[in-house]
Amino acid sequence: MFSLLYRMVRDRALAEDLAQETFVKVLNGIKSYRPEFKFSSWIFKIANNAAIDHLRRKSIDTLSLDGSPSAETPEQMRATSLQLGDRAESPLAEVENRELGTAIERAIARLRPEYRSCILLRHVEGYSYEEIAETLDLPLGTVKTYIHRARNELRVYLEDRRD
Amino acid sequence: MTDNTMHLTTDEIELWAQGLLPAARAIHLADCSLCRVEAERERKVILELVQLPKFAPNAGFADRVMAQVKVHAPSGDWTA
Repeated sequence: MFSLLYRMVRDRALAEDLAQETFVKVLNGIKSYRPEFKFSSWIFKIANNAAIDHLRRKSIDTLSLDGSPSAETPEQMRATSLQLGDRAESPLAEVENRELGTAIERAIARLRPEYRSCILLRHVEGYSYEEIAETLDLPLGTVKTYIHRARNELRVYLEDRRD
Repeated sequence: MTDNTMHLTTDEIELWAQGLLPAARAIHLADCSLCRVEAERERKVILELVQLPKFAPNAGFADRVMAQVKVHAPSGDWTA
């Protein structure tokens, strides 16, 4: 769960804050847990919501550079895209650069947050499409579309870099 | 029954990358260079993703969480 948060926000300290917030919510709200829901999915759902809420609130550099997922025209994408912020180099930033500085990590960072959650749950956490749909409250078809688009974007980005 | 002349879908390519593609469809893959190229490109990305490292929070994380969790006291009071 921490890995998901870290890759979503690309900031160790912030990921720890969100992980802490998630566990406190889980432990304090354990009575609201429904056993028909997979326990780990419930935790991921709370964690992912915390990350997405944060990304929506803050215009940070990990948010999609390509604009809103609902943007369909280049104008809409430009209007909803975000600019990279300047980040001061600190020891922690250096650790983050080392941990998240590989080509694949940078490619993941360029994905829209919704795509990023899906692709990480699928291939890093090993969730099935159905489990992802349940965890993220998304229709199964949407999950499949997001994952296929995400893989395609990653592939294009990685192949461009190799050329 | 699937028409074996049809190209592999993205779902089928993912199954192939996981070694789960049904034999009937694997026959198409063996015969179709277009699908093989596409499947190989997809497999490279999937392989990179599944090999990503897991990260852990810094030491003391669990203590920091537990310090904020309400503990149900025997008296019925909730204390932070």
